[in-house]
Amino acid sequence: MENISIEGSHTNFFVPSVDFNFETGICILSGESFLEDTIEFYDPLVQWLEEYTSEIKKPITFEIKLTYFNTSTSRSILDLLNILKEYEDDGGEVTVNWHYDEDDIDMEEDIEDYMLDTGLEINMIPFDEDTD
Amino acid sequence: MNTINKKMSLGQSLFSEEIRISYKGPVDGKIITFLADYIYVINELSEAATKKIFKIFFELAENISKYSSEKIKLKNGKEVGTGTIILKETVKNFILVTGNPIKNKDLIPVMENSKNINNLDHEELRKIKREVRKDNTVERDSPNIGLIAVALTSGNPLDIEINPIDEDSSYFSLAVKVDK
Repeated sequence: MENISIEGSHTNFFVPSVDFNFETGICILSGESFLEDTIEFYDPLVQWLEEYTSEIKKPITFEIKLTYFNTSTSRSILDLLNILKEYEDDGGEVTVNWHYDEDDIDMEEDIEDYMLDTGLEINMIPFDEDTD
Repeated sequence: MNTINKKMSLGQSLFSEEIRISYKGPVDGKIITFLADYIYVINELSEAATKKIFKIFFELAENISKYSSEKIKLKNGKEVGTGTIILKETVKNFILVTGNPIKNKDLIPVMENSKNINNLDHEELRKIKREVRKDNTVERDSPNIGLIAVALTSGNPLDIEINPIDEDSSYFSLAVKVDK
């Protein structure tokens, strides 16, 4: 199994930064997500997570710090969180931390909706965009 | 007088207003990200309004790019939809107006969905958004998912206007308000 490291970019589309590390079990998804082909970008992340949860089987910490994602991306995030929930139900140790701008009420509601959809507990961590 | 001009005339008669962005042409990823970045530097926008307009803008611009029936072929071979995007400021609101031709066959589901959206309160919209997002039979970039997200973010009804062009297509215009 290999780590995934993608440097985010902000040019023709908004590509999020990805750092999935199987040795530490820490997975970070950050930045903005508006992609030319959402499935092409997120499918390898979904496959990576499926492999980690079926073969590595160590604790996993999932850190999300997305300031914007479009509706197409929102379904891919749901796919990732559903895998984490299945892993937790099978006895895996899962921590999900979602960092969001404390003034972004829409994002706060999105996170709450993901908790309702998946049954996964997500630690909501507000930050001040002006100082953080 | 086309739909957008009519809407603008109506707006001008009721409020003083300023145009903050006006664009007409092909809407591809490069244009979308350029205009989205520009939203962040408009002085008149508060931080809260900027975030909302940014999110709404993406959904509406993506709909033009994918569903406008007027396409332009770029040098890279890709076909992108063309349309109009206007951001204007009135005394009480910012209003994002988009317009593009659309095939009538694509219009009916959008109209039905928009009518439903405008009849739902915030919590009902959240519920519908969750249901649609979980439904794998709905395309992930369906314009209807985007419109639900737009209505949720805006907190105001979607103002839709249709003007028939011919028997196959119509001019579709959508105005979304964001309170100051």
